Amino acid sequence: MITQTQTTPLLRVENLGLRLRSAPNSPAVLTDVTFALERGEILGIIGESGAGKSTIGNAVLGLLAPEFQQTSGTIAFEGKSFGAMTAAEREALRGRRISAIFQDHTASLDPLMSVGAQVEETILSASPALSKRQARTKVLDLMARVGIAEPERRYRHYPHQFSGGQRQRIVIAIALAAAPDIIIADEPTSALDATVQKQILQLLRDLVDETGISIILISHDMGVISEITDRVLVMRHGQMVEQDVTASVLNAPVHDYTRKLLAAVPRLRIPDVSANSSDGLPDNERSAQPATHEQFLIAQNISKQFTAARFGWRLGAGRSGFALSNIGMRLPRGTITGIVGESGSGKTTIGRIIAGLETAPSGRITIGDKIFDVSRNGRRSGLLGRVQMIFQDPSVSLNPRMTVAETLNESIRFGARVRPDDRRGGAAAMMDQLGLARSLLSRHPHQLSGGQKQRVCIARALLARPEIIVADEPTSALDVSVQAEIVRLLKETISDENVTMVFISHDLAVVQEMCSSVYIFKDGRIEDFGTAEFIFSRSDNPYTRALIDARPRRFTC
Amino acid sequence: MKTHILRVLQIRPSRPALTASKVLLASYILLAVAAPAIAPQNPYDPLQIYGWEASSPPGTVGSGGFPYLFGTDGLGRDIASTILYGLRISLVVSLTSAAIAALIGLTAGVSAAYFGKWVDAIIMRLVDLQLSLPTILIALIAIVTLGPGVDRIILALIIAQWATYARIARSVALSEASKSYMDAARLLRMPTARIILRHLLPNSLAPAITLIPIEVGHAVALEATLSFLGLGVPIDRPSLGSAVANGFQYLLTGQYWISLFPGLALFGLIASINLVGEDIRHSLDPRNKSR
Repeated sequence: MITQTQTTPLLRVENLGLRLRSAPNSPAVLTDVTFALERGEILGIIGESGAGKSTIGNAVLGLLAPEFQQTSGTIAFEGKSFGAMTAAEREALRGRRISAIFQDHTASLDPLMSVGAQVEETILSASPALSKRQARTKVLDLMARVGIAEPERRYRHYPHQFSGGQRQRIVIAIALAAAPDIIIADEPTSALDATVQKQILQLLRDLVDETGISIILISHDMGVISEITDRVLVMRHGQMVEQDVTASVLNAPVHDYTRKLLAAVPRLRIPDVSANSSDGLPDNERSAQPATHEQFLIAQNISKQFTAARFGWRLGAGRSGFALSNIGMRLPRGTITGIVGESGSGKTTIGRIIAGLETAPSGRITIGDKIFDVSRNGRRSGLLGRVQMIFQDPSVSLNPRMTVAETLNESIRFGARVRPDDRRGGAAAMMDQLGLARSLLSRHPHQLSGGQKQRVCIARALLARPEIIVADEPTSALDVSVQAEIVRLLKETISDENVTMVFISHDLAVVQEMCSSVYIFKDGRIEDFGTAEFIFSRSDNPYTRALIDARPRRFTC
Repeated sequence: MKTHILRVLQIRPSRPALTASKVLLASYILLAVAAPAIAPQNPYDPLQIYGWEASSPPGTVGSGGFPYLFGTDGLGRDIASTILYGLRISLVVSLTSAAIAALIGLTAGVSAAYFGKWVDAIIMRLVDLQLSLPTILIALIAIVTLGPGVDRIILALIIAQWATYARIARSVALSEASKSYMDAARLLRMPTARIILRHLLPNSLAPAITLIPIEVGHAVALEATLSFLGLGVPIDRPSLGSAVANGFQYLLTGQYWISLFPGLALFGLIASINLVGEDIRHSLDPRNKSR
């Protein structure tokens, strides 16, 4: 009997099956999901969108929406099945024994309540016997535990006074407040910058190692999974594909889908520095472009400041109001130049200024032999229309009321004015070139997958016959397996079409794969720049090194 | 769009109140269209009215040879006929004003969102001004300045209603204008009119369109209120509101029918428009597509 209890896992999910009540004939949401979670363990659940990974988390939390119907299986906490529990018993589990951390740290916190009060509220609801003073001491301990400096002072602060990473730390403190046995962390770092993501993941790992709680870490990111999980469950279309110790899944994946997922993760290559330093090359990598290319796009002295009246209250303490300060860039014709930076670094703003969508009070842009004043409206200065963009989120990049053919033909019609001599194949030929079936031409955007939509966006940009394309995080809203295809496609078409490209991304590995030269942006300034080879192997800029180090080790070689 | 129309015409036994409203509204429209043919009397032709039969209770057979189904009013007019004729005016006034108000409101709201700056400031301050005054007060001021008449009351209702559409259209257009497909359209340097008409407007329409059925109900009520106050349609073009007003002074003397039957007709009309309107709004809402 005693051995029996010892082998009972903390949480056991067996043959769990779910479907939607409203669509009984559609495929099940979950089919036969079985796993166990032991004490002091981090179990990763990985899958692409629609894999059902968040649904598992919600089922364990008892937060499933009423339209889900359980068709099979059991969930048991400490050997006791959810089905056998009374409503009050399940209520007592949620938030106390099993708590949660979600992706959106802003929505997880009450903006009108100081963070200390929010942590305290949770502590008091879990153990009402505590006095106010005891609860407060616990709050301060917890805040210190999750790495908030000066908890006494920060106790009274409100969520907007914290950065994203700090807010997520507060959310973790709240999740810990009731001293739970299990934390369900659903994409806890997906909204955070890479360097912050690394710290939060480390915090989760330390918590598990020190307090012996268990975590179910739900993520779409193989990098996150590889960093801190002990075991991993690979999900696809609501079915378990593979489940094993993380190291073996990463090193010796059994299932084809897992292999495909792993292969799709972009890898950062750090060339051997010692081998390169002895070959006697002159130290001219800083020039950021191979000497053979002519300068095509030159940006000079571009500065832009956010006005305090409009954005002041949103900027956290200590952040300067500069969106861009004195940016200068040179792009050789026919190459891809990367702009890397974390959120708020100004990388998107510079892209939009180059495209003529935004103005800046000072600076100028030279394209070929024409000079444009960026302080003037792009339509008046003539800059607008010379550059096309590919946007981050394909679901809002296409007019939902226009068919693919209408969108592409509009691009041909209006793009022809920029380069009237350059009229090659129409929309259909472009579809072929980008690997899209011609039958999709009559579809509306909502009938396309994310990857197809992004291909249509690429087609639209190319059909306007631009000399320059700015791609702003074109892959970050897509599933990993689709990302790799889009990156390959972009690289191929760019070299075929003799277009100059600015590739904006937060992902170093993708930038390395795409770009010949790289600018690193930080707080509106250019922190570092050079050829890709220089940046990734020899740059000694501390911020560049920090960005490279923030990459999951497993996917750096 | 076709499916939406079919859906509204559909009779669903699972929702009896809605079905009843649809039937009721359809009969109202039929009655209004056929009024001259089926009304036993033209209540505004003095030759057909017998003054000595004023205030006859329901069911009295009059000199015209037909029974006064709902009685007669203080001037001897057949109330059933008054209702049929009044219905025409009420429906014409409310439908016309709602449609024109929607058109003006949409254009103003979407333009405010797209152009921003001073265009936005001017349009939205007008909207604020309009929304800060009670609707009935605005309509009253408009009627007093413009004078009576069916066209004037339509104008007054438009003035009272356009701002609601403008505000909704602007908020939707603002969020649409910030989406990447609008940037893509600007990058192609197409004419501003095309960007607005082809890209922004079609995607900002839905929430304002869904307001129309509800606002038609408001318009009927507002017009009736104005007419009740004697500021609405002129005496020779009666609406349901003025028919109710006609009996107001007789209520205390026990001649309830003069106000009651037009009042009931008005109630049924507004209730059925609101119920059917809510259903249309629901079916137009893209979030409810699955149902």
